[in-house]
Amino acid sequence: MTDPAELLPALHRSVLQGDEAAARRLAAEALAGGIEPLAAIEHGLVPGVREAGRLWEEGEFFLPELVLAAQAMRAAMDVLQPALGGARAASLGRVVIGTVEGDIHDIGKTLVATMLAASGFAVSDEGAGVPAARFVARARELDADLVCASALLTTTMPRQRELVAALREAGLRARVMVGGAPVTRSWAEAIGADGFADNALAAVAVARGLVGHGATV
Amino acid sequence: MRPSELAELLASRVVLLDGGLGSMLIAAGLPAGRAPEWWNLEHPELVAAVHRAYADAGSEIVHANSFGGSPIRLAAAGLAGRCTEVNAAAVAIARDACAGRALVAGDVGPIGVMLPPVGSATVTELGAAFREQAAALADAGADLVSIETMSDLREALTALEAALETGLAVIASMTFAARRRGFFTVMGDPLVPSLAALAAAGAVAVGCNCTVGPGEMAAMAREAAPALAVPLVAQPNAGLPRLTPDGVAYEAEPEGFARSMAAVVAAGARAVGGCCGTTPEFIARMRAMLEARRG
Repeated sequence: MTDPAELLPALHRSVLQGDEAAARRLAAEALAGGIEPLAAIEHGLVPGVREAGRLWEEGEFFLPELVLAAQAMRAAMDVLQPALGGARAASLGRVVIGTVEGDIHDIGKTLVATMLAASGFAVSDEGAGVPAARFVARARELDADLVCASALLTTTMPRQRELVAALREAGLRARVMVGGAPVTRSWAEAIGADGFADNALAAVAVARGLVGHGATV
Repeated sequence: MRPSELAELLASRVVLLDGGLGSMLIAAGLPAGRAPEWWNLEHPELVAAVHRAYADAGSEIVHANSFGGSPIRLAAAGLAGRCTEVNAAAVAIARDACAGRALVAGDVGPIGVMLPPVGSATVTELGAAFREQAAALADAGADLVSIETMSDLREALTALEAALETGLAVIASMTFAARRRGFFTVMGDPLVPSLAALAAAGAVAVGCNCTVGPGEMAAMAREAAPALAVPLVAQPNAGLPRLTPDGVAYEAEPEGFARSMAAVVAAGARAVGGCCGTTPEFIARMRAMLEARRG
């Protein structure tokens, strides 16, 4: 067993190092040791994945390291989430997320989905190559608060514009956040999206703002 | 074209490649979201027009419209089971359009599914896909194979191994950007060791394409060319793409691009062309630049 005082830093390290097995084990130890699951998330996992995101932005981490960190976080979340219980388990909001039609890139989208789920959103990840009609259908079905659409190619970005239009036309209340390597804030504004994020950490802050749990970025 | 023949060509002079194809097809009306390979079947005359414009501008090697032509990627684009047909059409269109004025490279891009830990593809699965595409390109009469835009060295080596089985000369390019500790792919593969590994595995020439503009490409060429035992190929983008509400705009213009490419050649690149956003005008300016250098 890990010294309880060391558990949170150890969780942080396990995420940063992308050590999925350690993250899962430490999460279970934290619960067994009486650490509040929310404390384990906020003071263990989130700082770990945030540091991974910072190192990625600084050019110190590469994609595999970032993905491993997200996977370790998800593994620990799977252990902690059921223990959140009661009102704490109520999500910040319901999110439908996917990569737009014609675009099979889903690395960035998966990272954002992972971070949103880890941050307390109920996330329905529709995968890659998602047609606008499916975004709309899922958003209606789940009464989604937020629809997130990723595009990695300049050729598929126009699908985001069509998606915004389709959601508006369907009369759904969901706000829309867009992202992806070529996507800019001015593009997001031009197509009438409600939010834009250029990395997975920013996406969480923007998402919280869009559903009314924090400042809009 | 056998490996030794391409090696001799690149030793004899700096060879001019072509520029962007996908971005030209979009300008010609390729609908957003439609895979460019569809046009080999639907609009061969529009694909041919781009190749012809590059040959007119002075390209000595053009890339067939087969970048996304692996069976896995074609299936994702709605062309499942049509790998041989699509790649054969790509080569035939380019050969007819160039009519012997330029060599035709069968273009091989990343498959789009990732190896672990980012994805769950296997090397075996990728290898089979690359073999099917490379065989189709070779059977259709491609003069050489050009592997491009790879960000994972393992995938690049898998593609290279498959392409070499055709007996054709192979150029292998990856896509790098400046990071904190030097030039790396997004997967973390470093510039010189990656290109050296591709050279050791049998590529006649190795290179960098896409992602960066000509300025950063010159810095990469200065680092890579002296360190490699094989010729370096450089195909930067026309600066960085910026998406505006009206479409995609690129920072560099043809004349400035050609000026920057002179530095890439001075750094030791033996074949130069352009990637996304470059047009026949860029190639024409580069031809003038190369002719001025030759005197």
